[in-house]
Amino acid sequence: MLDLQPHVAAVEHYDELYTPLGTPRAHYGPLAATLERLGRDEILARVQAINTSLLQRGVTFTVYADAAGTERVFPFDIIPRIITPDEWGHIERGIRQRVRAINAFLYDVYHGERILREKRMPRELVYSSKNYNREMIDVDVPRDVYIHVSGIDLIRDEKGEFLVLEDNCRTPSGISYVLENRDVLKRGLPDFFRGYAVCPVDDYPSRLLDVLRYAAPQAAERPNVVVLTPGIYNSAYFEHTLLARRMGVELVEARDLIVVENVVYLKTTRGLERVDVIYRRVDDDYLDPLYFIPESTLGVPGLMNAYRAGNVGIANAIGTGVGDDKAIYRFVPEMIRFYLDEEPVLNNVPTFDCTEPSQLQHVLANLDKLVVKTTNASGGYGMLMGPFATKEERERFAETVVSNPRDFIAQPVVQLSSSPTLIDGAMVARRVDLRPFALFGRSVDVPPAALTRVALREGSLVVNSSQGGGSKDTWVLQA
Amino acid sequence: MLSRVADSLYWLGRNVERAETIARILDVNYTRAMDLYSQRDGRSEALWRSVMQSAGFRTQAKISSNGRAAGDCFGFCAFDESNPTSIISSVRIARTNALSIRAELTTEVWEVINVLYLDVTDQDLDSVLREGPSKFLRRIRDGMQAFAGMSDATLTHGDGWNFLQVGRFIERAYMTARILEAVDVEHEPWHESQRLLEMCCASVPFAQASHSAPEGRDAVAFILLSQDFPRSLRFCTRQIDVSMHQISHTPEGTFANDAERRLGRMRALFDFTPLDEMLQAGVPAFARQLVGDYEALSNDIQGAYFPRMPVTA
Repeated sequence: MLDLQPHVAAVEHYDELYTPLGTPRAHYGPLAATLERLGRDEILARVQAINTSLLQRGVTFTVYADAAGTERVFPFDIIPRIITPDEWGHIERGIRQRVRAINAFLYDVYHGERILREKRMPRELVYSSKNYNREMIDVDVPRDVYIHVSGIDLIRDEKGEFLVLEDNCRTPSGISYVLENRDVLKRGLPDFFRGYAVCPVDDYPSRLLDVLRYAAPQAAERPNVVVLTPGIYNSAYFEHTLLARRMGVELVEARDLIVVENVVYLKTTRGLERVDVIYRRVDDDYLDPLYFIPESTLGVPGLMNAYRAGNVGIANAIGTGVGDDKAIYRFVPEMIRFYLDEEPVLNNVPTFDCTEPSQLQHVLANLDKLVVKTTNASGGYGMLMGPFATKEERERFAETVVSNPRDFIAQPVVQLSSSPTLIDGAMVARRVDLRPFALFGRSVDVPPAALTRVALREGSLVVNSSQGGGSKDTWVLQA
Repeated sequence: MLSRVADSLYWLGRNVERAETIARILDVNYTRAMDLYSQRDGRSEALWRSVMQSAGFRTQAKISSNGRAAGDCFGFCAFDESNPTSIISSVRIARTNALSIRAELTTEVWEVINVLYLDVTDQDLDSVLREGPSKFLRRIRDGMQAFAGMSDATLTHGDGWNFLQVGRFIERAYMTARILEAVDVEHEPWHESQRLLEMCCASVPFAQASHSAPEGRDAVAFILLSQDFPRSLRFCTRQIDVSMHQISHTPEGTFANDAERRLGRMRALFDFTPLDEMLQAGVPAFARQLVGDYEALSNDIQGAYFPRMPVTA
């Protein structure tokens, strides 16, 4: 039997499977029945087969802190996370609204700064953002779309309300795990799908290709799209290859590209071939050594000029990082009101701004209760989980915060919701988040292909793959 | 197709073929060393010295004379990561190249390489020798041939596949020339001919074609000149030429670059030169010349399609 570890009806956090009364929620019913029918031994055998298959497929990520580029299988938990059509409808509305607002904000900060002139947010916050890009002022990007692809991280508070934890508007990754997890689960445990109508995810690459083609400068008739990767040692390389392959476009490295008279070309065995759209999975700083980091070997000299001349589309646009800066996150609800004249569908997590002296004092006095995050980092690097840190770690972090308050924000520890997870042959409750992806072309499309990350360590609230997180197949049920 | 991708496909093809060839060389010689060559008369050491030469070592490798020659050479040719032509290095290079063009390969082709890589890097010399190396070597050959089959059956036969073919056949020709250079058919006609044929997996095809036991230069002639045997130098050179012309879209018999010109000369050599004239200076000398020709050909191909471009700006 695969019983969920007897656990007291959760009160301090929301459980995806059990109601506070300890009864399973209706949409998990068929799955619970299947688990019971298959039995523990059968399921464990399937898990082993699934893990072997992931290793053989090479569904791995690279851990930077490890000895030079260790490849690891991204841990996959077989128990799917299930989202009802109502929940998804709410999420979809909220993400669509949020992405439109952030895109409008990006257009505005590079064209006239209405939001700053009307004093709806502090000027210095924008100018001090490491990812605010002066080179982009007054540059018109194709169709005014900046964030073609975004991933908005959601968590569920103790009442079950979905909150936005952070926005990822640069090069969010994770969609390859969504695609692979579904494929692996369908092959390895087909029984699970009995009794459910789950939205398929495998059309994501063609939806992405539509958006990328739409990002071409108007001149291109049949736009030539490429995916730009930093190379095989990048942590998301597997994803880059998967997307290029499924879209049927070339996967290129910077050394494959050359700019001649402000036009970008591929170096092929038959000479040069024009490129219209670059889906880049490289940070701004490494795109063009002439503009950004001169030592970078990842960049394409002259790319920025070609972009400004309107000869190539780049997705996401350059300079979008100011939109997902964690210190600016606090103002997204304000952007929604300002640009769209709407009330936010999805709320933020309360956030303290360390640049305001009174808030900084509060943060320093309550470090043991707060999560402190670096405003420009991602992937769970450079953060302090106050309640779980030692006194020394907190003191050391406090010094860094005081010396550079703009680089940090603080949030109360939000209890993530928990979801049944198979660990060492037993079913236990582990915390999860949710990253839906939004595609911005003619309109904002939120495919029912979201990534659920799970903190595999007991009690942990950190779901990042670099910090011992895994993932689950995420089922959005058909309405 | 991207020059970089063509480059990787070419080296993928070469390293897959190399791993397979080294595995076959090791298997044949490890087995032959067991009965024919006793460990006392120094012939075993001579045999392994010749193996090392076939495997790509021009300098005299140190062969221990304490009866451990087989194990030492095996370890060096199979598992030594500092030896760039060992099986493990070839598989690793092949896999790195495959990874860098993962988007161009089908899932089947990628998985064959990846699974083999996981297998090889999981082995250690002692346990492989303990269970007898044949089993391990067999897996390498099977894996590599599965790769060849999968790529033929699942990849589009366009430029990419042709670059893969060019890599495979140039490596096969190059290694065969090396094997020829290291056998001594003049002094031990039967045993050395047989060893040569087995290393080229040609003993049965040769027997069927010649209806006789190998003698003198018969086996050498077969390995050099057979029209239809897929490992003969003539056959390999023709395959390279055909693929190169499919890539350049020029008719066979003409040339679009230095590589094709050299191929034309080499084909003429195999097609029209009398055997005695070829082997005037002896088999090893002629084989050495061919090794040089294939090296030069590789440089020509690189120059035509994927020159090492200087970093711009």
